[in-house]
Amino acid sequence: MKYAIFFGAFLIAPILACDPTHSDQVSALGGEAPNVNEGPTHRPGEPCLRCHDGAFGDPEEFSVAGTIYRGAEDATGADGVTVIMTDATGSTHTALTNSAGNFYVTPGDWTPKYPMQAQIESGSTKVPMLTLISRDGACSGCHVAPASDDSPGRVVLTLDDGGTPP
Amino acid sequence: MRSRSMLVACAISGALVSAALGCSTPDSNGRFVQAKLPDETTFAPVSILLDVRCGSLDCHGNVARNLRLYGSAGRRLSASDQPFSPACNTASEVDQDFISVVGLEPEQVSAVASGADPETLTMMRKARGTEAHKGEQIWSIGDDSDTCVTSWLEGSVDRSACMRAVTAALPNGASNPLVGCVSP
Repeated sequence: MKYAIFFGAFLIAPILACDPTHSDQVSALGGEAPNVNEGPTHRPGEPCLRCHDGAFGDPEEFSVAGTIYRGAEDATGADGVTVIMTDATGSTHTALTNSAGNFYVTPGDWTPKYPMQAQIESGSTKVPMLTLISRDGACSGCHVAPASDDSPGRVVLTLDDGGTPP
Repeated sequence: MRSRSMLVACAISGALVSAALGCSTPDSNGRFVQAKLPDETTFAPVSILLDVRCGSLDCHGNVARNLRLYGSAGRRLSASDQPFSPACNTASEVDQDFISVVGLEPEQVSAVASGADPETLTMMRKARGTEAHKGEQIWSIGDDSDTCVTSWLEGSVDRSACMRAVTAALPNGASNPLVGCVSP
């Protein structure tokens, strides 16, 4: 009987672990860009939490992550931008973008209670996000280029006309 | 031995009958006419509140949600519009949000418009946190957001409560462009 239970659990475990929808979403992201190794600067602009979901402990889980760009039409990541996040309880956490424009927060550092507000700052430029983030810690879950009816476009410091985003 | 076989057969039959009953659906020819609806002409401030509090692209601005909302702070109805452009909800978006809200639980919305407790609406229970909600509790019973929606459901929208609720919910406070979209 003990062996039967063990064997049954052994068979069921892989089925429970398998999520074909999630697997398809991950596959759709494609491979790594040439000459970019896995690490903090890889896959800018992609939905970070799709893989960094902590499902199996590898890759590392993120609670919030994303990419900040120089401009709507400029696909260059903005380095050294401060991302200030404030959750529903008033708890604030800051993160700094790296050379790819990426930033990330791990649950060990901070996990927001939604809804969350966000603001990005670089020098004297301050751009507050004007809507609440309700449940998705990955910026590109909503911010996809180009801007459309269901996306405000990339998260940018400045608009092409020199102004700041609304 | 025979009685054991009978027992197994009965158990299987019972399981099959239970499954069949469990899958029964309402009569496909059944119809319900909403005897009374909340006022569509005063829905605009409620639409803005729902857009701001519930309609972000990662929540009810997502097409996967049963309660789908359109508006400036989330998904736009027109393919040529973008979040915050135009700044305020369009008349078509207000219409669609109205249909979403009154069509979610048609019978119950009709009952609430006729005097039943707004708490009987799933939408209200989820927003109040009295029913499980992925977005957790959004507002509390009697606060400005709650008053905005319940006053509309009950026939006399409290525009001031709606405006206070929108202003309080918006990041960047009074300088947020959406504040100008709802007048007291």
